[in-house]
Amino acid sequence: MKDSNTYIFLYASAMVIVVAAVLSTVATLLKPYQDLNIEMAKKLDILRSVEKAERVAEVDDRNAYIDGEYERYIVDSYVINHLGEVQEGIDAFEVNVREENRKPVDQRNLPIFVARDDDGSENFIIPVYGRGLWGPVFGYIAFEDDYNTIFGVIFDHEGETPGLGAEISTPAFENQFKGKKIFDDAGEFVSIDVIKPGTVPLNEHRVDGISGGTITGNGVDAMLEDTLGSYVAYFRKQKNVNHE
Amino acid sequence: MSKTDKEPLFSGKNIKLLSTPLNDENPITVQVLGICSALAVTAMLEPAVVLAVAVIVVMGAANVIISLLRNTIPSRIRIIVQLVVIASLVILVDQVLKAFFYDVSRQLSVFVGLIITNCIIMGRLEAFALGNKPWPSFLDGVGNAAGYGWILIVVGFFRELLGSGNLWGYPVMETLGVYNFGYEDNGFMILPPMALITVGVIIWVQRSRNRKLIESQ
Amino acid sequence: MEELTSIFVRSVFIDNMVFAYFLGMCSYLAVSRTVSTANGLGIAVVFVLGFTVPVNYLIENYFLSEGALAWLGPGFANIDLSFLSFILFIAVIASMVQLVEMIVEKFAPALYSSLGIFLPLIAVNCAILGGSLFMQEREYANIAQASAFGLGSGAGFYLAIVGIAAIREKIKYSNVPGPLRGLGITFIVTGLMGIAFMSFMGIAL
Repeated sequence: MKDSNTYIFLYASAMVIVVAAVLSTVATLLKPYQDLNIEMAKKLDILRSVEKAERVAEVDDRNAYIDGEYERYIVDSYVINHLGEVQEGIDAFEVNVREENRKPVDQRNLPIFVARDDDGSENFIIPVYGRGLWGPVFGYIAFEDDYNTIFGVIFDHEGETPGLGAEISTPAFENQFKGKKIFDDAGEFVSIDVIKPGTVPLNEHRVDGISGGTITGNGVDAMLEDTLGSYVAYFRKQKNVNHE
Repeated sequence: MSKTDKEPLFSGKNIKLLSTPLNDENPITVQVLGICSALAVTAMLEPAVVLAVAVIVVMGAANVIISLLRNTIPSRIRIIVQLVVIASLVILVDQVLKAFFYDVSRQLSVFVGLIITNCIIMGRLEAFALGNKPWPSFLDGVGNAAGYGWILIVVGFFRELLGSGNLWGYPVMETLGVYNFGYEDNGFMILPPMALITVGVIIWVQRSRNRKLIESQ
Repeated sequence: MEELTSIFVRSVFIDNMVFAYFLGMCSYLAVSRTVSTANGLGIAVVFVLGFTVPVNYLIENYFLSEGALAWLGPGFANIDLSFLSFILFIAVIASMVQLVEMIVEKFAPALYSSLGIFLPLIAVNCAILGGSLFMQEREYANIAQASAFGLGSGAGFYLAIVGIAAIREKIKYSNVPGPLRGLGITFIVTGLMGIAFMSFMGIAL
């Protein structure tokens, strides 16, 4: 009886229904909580790229603290296209960088967040997105107001190998980016290269990769080249405005 | 272990279920199960410990569920049933963590795929839980997961210590000051092939001490 | 066509499932005692990978990812079922494996008994699920590319397992220290093969 086709069919159907019901109920019920967590994580990443919200581990009400810091320091945000024109009517925070990354460059919505510190200095934060070895790598890059020098970066990943590729989200790797420049002296866009440690001398456009994490490092390299490249037109415009 | 002697739950036979996988029937070094994850997470000690704990939890639960269902599962679709049980369990846990313990979930999400495809879980379901009562199945699951876990932790210990000079992120070698004597970290140790060779050496040590495991030619 | 060849060759040598990503190790180590069983398992893996990757590709693109259900009508355009991807991929794989198991049992009973528990375990062979997840991650443009990738990865696994089986058959004649005999030396040899394959890494094709 146990191996009759009817029984197998019924068993499989019952199993599918039970599992589907349980999983979708749980997924639906938990979605609001998960979305809130994701929103908070995003705000925290943006803040951390400009070295804010650093007491997040100590405070009791984490979400309120992050919201407070975000309100205080992130003063503006807008969306541009690859030609550097500001797009009206799109909320920069709602732009899904992963989705944008799938589109051809000339159709992407590119968000920029503006942070203003207590002393009035401004930083411009852009999200980056790319692929590592096992899955997406992403992060936020904060520029100083010369639209060239990097103020700070935050990287994260979904599933890079612990101890190897996963090292991209450690301060040791991230801090290397501070003060690096994405334009050379002649004003050409050169991005930041992640190199194999020890192969070429470091300069202001290069950082050391992670030994054993070459593929993830290459992913970060490609991500920077690709994403920063699409902002170049806008950065150039802003630089010219500043010079005049 | 429970000292109340009339407890039949921990009879000699049951304790054996828990202890043999630690050595004689070790999942990694004897049954050859769960190797991929052993390579993926052992470059450092911390993820090795985290995965070991996660596998103990999932395996105990999956073994009990399959054992409860064992008389109803049609043999021709048993693989699908087993995998669906494991996968739903892991997804469920992941979803709950994502909602209420987001930080833990970010650390664990790396392992979700690794746990589902860990052949050690499926291997024990197939070999034990399908034919045994829930309690022994639970012990078998926990025992095997622990046997798997200690190998992971040993490999992780040596790879992190020799490869990056740290333990649990703490710079041991620097504290000991051995770099002053010209010692250098062996970057090779953190590459995946060295995990294989480390496990090979563990097998060597284990079998020299436990000679009945030696394979005949 | 050129692109398909390139994807295929890449997945056999440069992105080899066993040596570059260290996936599918369990069956690789356990079923490589003799060349003939390795051959059988290798073919089964090629078959399963070559089939599940394209099928999962269709599922991913017409069912799971956000907006994939748009073909059902505009009302479905915003549904995102990607949280189901693990379980659906694995279900497809498990049913394929069960099918292969039945076929092998029927037509090659000798192979069936020598593969033992490792035939059902193909379902959890990380190389197989890894194949589908890589496919999802790399976003191949069409189903032909996905198939080329699936078959290439399968062929890479086949190459690896037959290679180690041949080495193990030769090692039988050498004087390996007792405790290292069998599994131990296989781990070490695989490690060395992995180091050799690392030299393919970074070759652009």
